[in-house]
Amino acid sequence: MHIVLLKVTALFYLVGALLYLHFIVTLREKGAKLGRMFLLIGVILHAVGFAARYAVAGYTPITNLFESLSFFAMAIVAVFLVTELRYHLRTLGAFIAPLGFGFSILAAFQPGEVVRLAPALNSYWLPIHVMLLFLGDAVFAVAFGAGIMYLLQEKEVKRKRLGAIFKRLPSLDVLDEINYRCLTVGFPLLTLGIITGSIWAEYAWGSYWSWDPKETWSLITWFLYAALLHGRLTVGWRGRKAAILAIVGFCAVLFTFLGVNLLLPGLHSYTSLSG
Amino acid sequence: MADDKRDTSTMDKVWNFFTSLKLAITVLIIMAVASIFGTIIEQNQPIEKYRQVYEDWAYHLLDRLNMFDMYHSWWFLLLLVLFTINLACCTLDRLPRVLKVVRNPKTTLDENLEKTLGQVDRWKKKGSLDAWADKYAEAMGKTIGKPRVTKNGDAVHLYAEKGVVSRFGVYVTHTSIIIIFIGAIVGNVLGFKGFVNILEGQSIRQVSTPRGDRSIDLDFAVRCNKFTLTYYTDEHGHQTQQPKEYASDLSVLENGREVLRKKIVVNDPLQYKGIWFYQSSYGQAGAASAKVAIREPGGALVTGLSLFAGQPVEIPGYGRITGTDYQPNYQGLGPALLVTLEKAGQPPSQLWLLESRPDFDRQRKDRYYLSFGGLSQAFYTGLQVAKDPGVNVVWVGCTLMVIGLLIAFFMSHQRLWVRLSPSADGRVDVVLAGSASKNRLAFEKKFEKIQSDMKAVAI
Repeated sequence: MHIVLLKVTALFYLVGALLYLHFIVTLREKGAKLGRMFLLIGVILHAVGFAARYAVAGYTPITNLFESLSFFAMAIVAVFLVTELRYHLRTLGAFIAPLGFGFSILAAFQPGEVVRLAPALNSYWLPIHVMLLFLGDAVFAVAFGAGIMYLLQEKEVKRKRLGAIFKRLPSLDVLDEINYRCLTVGFPLLTLGIITGSIWAEYAWGSYWSWDPKETWSLITWFLYAALLHGRLTVGWRGRKAAILAIVGFCAVLFTFLGVNLLLPGLHSYTSLSG
Repeated sequence: MADDKRDTSTMDKVWNFFTSLKLAITVLIIMAVASIFGTIIEQNQPIEKYRQVYEDWAYHLLDRLNMFDMYHSWWFLLLLVLFTINLACCTLDRLPRVLKVVRNPKTTLDENLEKTLGQVDRWKKKGSLDAWADKYAEAMGKTIGKPRVTKNGDAVHLYAEKGVVSRFGVYVTHTSIIIIFIGAIVGNVLGFKGFVNILEGQSIRQVSTPRGDRSIDLDFAVRCNKFTLTYYTDEHGHQTQQPKEYASDLSVLENGREVLRKKIVVNDPLQYKGIWFYQSSYGQAGAASAKVAIREPGGALVTGLSLFAGQPVEIPGYGRITGTDYQPNYQGLGPALLVTLEKAGQPPSQLWLLESRPDFDRQRKDRYYLSFGGLSQAFYTGLQVAKDPGVNVVWVGCTLMVIGLLIAFFMSHQRLWVRLSPSADGRVDVVLAGSASKNRLAFEKKFEKIQSDMKAVAI
């Protein structure tokens, strides 16, 4: 049942993404509005599915690959909708909505049956720790989208080809502003996520930091974004450099989330593979 | 003289090196890259394992570089020290300047300052300069804060500010990192990590270090009263193979007297005198035995037995019984034990005894009947032991870090100046100017609002 609901949700995201892509080609306002509608319905369906699974499982469903991919997709779409509400950047949808669709469809192909909670995960810190990190990751996903748009737009500006693409993408200033705003929201969330993880580790294992690959990779991601922050705030890295680092940062986010579980051994590996 | 000069310039160079942002970003990136290696090369594994994985030369190279315990190697610690010195120097370098600006704000708006400010507007008003100054001071008080009034010749300057604290967010964050490091050092020097296995019913006064190379004495004893492993049950109420809870019932003993008792589970440890005990693993101690009661038909207990698999037990004046098989769910009726009963002069007989129906064997209408009271297995519990007097320092650092980040990102130092001066045409020249340290777009809107509010004020 969960898988079917998620597939329907993914379908809404797909239609939303296509509508946004259609908008970017035709520049017809109606397409973007419809696209937003579909994403909104999709995210509501997603939230209903999440709540239903919570009710069935009896714990916050973010414990295996199916659940966490699904939650990540929901967070990305939700954060995008909030960003759009604030900055009215319709074209961003053409870059972010496909991510939401991608992660939800990836989730839909994972084994999705509800399993019982392993004793190690039975803690109040589970939802706090994981949700904070996924929210932060979703904010970084938006920065990633804005970063790609920035590089595309910059290429246009540099070639002085103020044509089709230029007209469609937001100005470099606005994209850079989004990059910074995402950093100021994503970085505290990432920090809080790591800290709550440390508190949990202290109560579960007696060690707030054990250099386990997941911990280390989240710290690597933190270092990258900290470097970006300092570059921005003090040396005045703007635009291109900031955009590239936002893209590299998100790659580190993805590796911390997926790469570590699939490729590296460690304490966190149960969160994906045993599910 | 010349020497002096060279000395100061060398000192300056060293100081500039340690306060440079380049150093900060370089160290951050080197630590990030080095950490990647630490996640690819598994840390703290037995030597034989590395020998299997790596060629000889690679093993020696990696060993020389301390790559097998990288995060505790001298060079990684050196990076951390460099990072800390950099943080401390940057704070010492920049904080006094910020303090100076905060303590002595520019309360007058002169032409030079005016040129540097993003938001400036000017207009003229008829009437008395002092009356307008009062009105504008009141208006500023409602939005940014009560202004300071400075009289400078004919002109009156009003200055108000808000969110000064946001200037300190970055220093709070940087200090918090140093505090976390101090906490980590305190924990490493004054604390310890250890491990201990305790058999049910036994107590320990020593734990061993994680590598098992030495043991640490406790000044009290810990007894494991019981270890329980519970499994989830399926929809029919039968036990599955999925563990639900690992629990140890522990007692802390001082001079043989119990001073504290707690059942610990994963995620809920026991703490005594600053030493924490965490449920970490468990194991079976010896073989399982089956509890079997021998009863008279009336129900009176003759004797209780512990049967080990395949080992016969003699019941005087009755016969010999042997436990031969056990099934956790025999024909859907739950746990059951198969015993072989040998009585003198009779062929051996086999009986299934159901745990859920202790009177089942009465139907044989023999002198005694047998009832199965379940399996009994002795366990040991594996506990992670830790003493970390620095952990609260680390938590203080973490809290400060979050507070610092929130201040740095979400508060903005907003400043507003008004200058009133007599104009040549007998009216009052008004200049309004403002700036914000962060989120200038939002401040622009706020400034526009203040500006239109002020223009609307009438005497």
